[in-house]
Amino acid sequence: MIFYVDPGSGVPIFRQLVDQVKLSIASGVLQPGDELPSIRSLSVPLGVNPMTISKAYNLLVHDEILERRPGKSLVVAELGQGEIEDRRLEQLRETLRPALAQVRQLEIDPDEALALFGELLAENDTDQGKD
Amino acid sequence: MNILQCDNVSRGYGGGDVLSRISFSVDQGEVIGLLGRNGAGKTTLIRLVMGMLAPREGTVRVFGLEPRANAVAVKRRIGYVAEAQELPPFLKVHEVVGMYRQLFPGWDEDMADDLIRKFELPSDRKIKDLSRGQARQVALMCAVSYRPELLILDEPAGGLDPAARRQFLETSIRLLNETGTTILFSSHYMGDVERMASRLIMIHDHQKWIDSELDDIREGYSLALVPAADLADGEQLLSLPSCLCARRHGEVFHAVYELEPEACCQAVRQALGIANIQCRRLGLEEMFIELAGRE
Repeated sequence: MIFYVDPGSGVPIFRQLVDQVKLSIASGVLQPGDELPSIRSLSVPLGVNPMTISKAYNLLVHDEILERRPGKSLVVAELGQGEIEDRRLEQLRETLRPALAQVRQLEIDPDEALALFGELLAENDTDQGKD
Repeated sequence: MNILQCDNVSRGYGGGDVLSRISFSVDQGEVIGLLGRNGAGKTTLIRLVMGMLAPREGTVRVFGLEPRANAVAVKRRIGYVAEAQELPPFLKVHEVVGMYRQLFPGWDEDMADDLIRKFELPSDRKIKDLSRGQARQVALMCAVSYRPELLILDEPAGGLDPAARRQFLETSIRLLNETGTTILFSSHYMGDVERMASRLIMIHDHQKWIDSELDDIREGYSLALVPAADLADGEQLLSLPSCLCARRHGEVFHAVYELEPEACCQAVRQALGIANIQCRRLGLEEMFIELAGRE
């Protein structure tokens, strides 16, 4: 997988890295058993403090998304199919959360918001149908 | 291990204080981003740490030593790149390297060679004939190649193009990786600060204003936007605990709170009974401008 960071994005860098690993696992780019790059090898090309990468990796280990293998660097933890499914939904949940905050802030009716989501899904389906 | 300790340090030039009662301590391996507006006293603080200035009040300890009384012992363990050029102008690059090799027993020839190659520095040219960017690269190469325990960079990005800035960053990270060096750097490039720093110290109005882990700052502060029509004045916003600053921008008040956005919205709504407010996280650059910006 290829990591990238965007310092100006408003999301702390360690969280960007955590999200990228989760997304790569949810979408199948990273498979159980795949090895993650070492902190050292990642910190220089990314231009990021190694402690930030270490913090991201530690969080992922704590959440049992990555595991430490003796003598090896970090690998993606083995998962059941159900867990992979859960993780994909969890990923979507995190993406939708800011939208939810906006629904509240703009005081949009929940039914209207749901209808809009349905509309966007339908639009997207039509777009893909054209290809 | 404690690397740097400042206790109640004050320093002025002539009249008033530039720095007033600054205290902080830095442990090994920390990377401190020093923030503040031009003239806030960042360079003065760095010069105090380097022992180039004496504090009017308070004490500075570097590696547990008083940096003026132990100038040689302390400076041997610090790598320092000043904001202004301080290399001998009439020496050639390879002569500067020779001088450093003599002065610093821990000089790492391989590292120096590697950086000279990477920065494409002309060994046979005199310092005075180099571009400003190249001269800074020579200064950096010299400052890191004896693998100092503490690296101090005063505005390392000043006058560098983006590619050279990135090399500065990568070189510092390499030192962090390989030597566990502690770093203190001042910068106006918030992107670089965000990439490098583990902790931020912000100086404002001669005093230490913020001293916090970078990630805590990124996740623990919010900007609240409140319509001016709903408020008598900014004092109402400032009166809430955890408010750092509140200023009017046209029809909207901007206030920075040391709270997460949801808690911030709730606190302001409850205290002031105003429904129509927005709270969100703010980036480092935005935060800097809100805190130190318009007076």
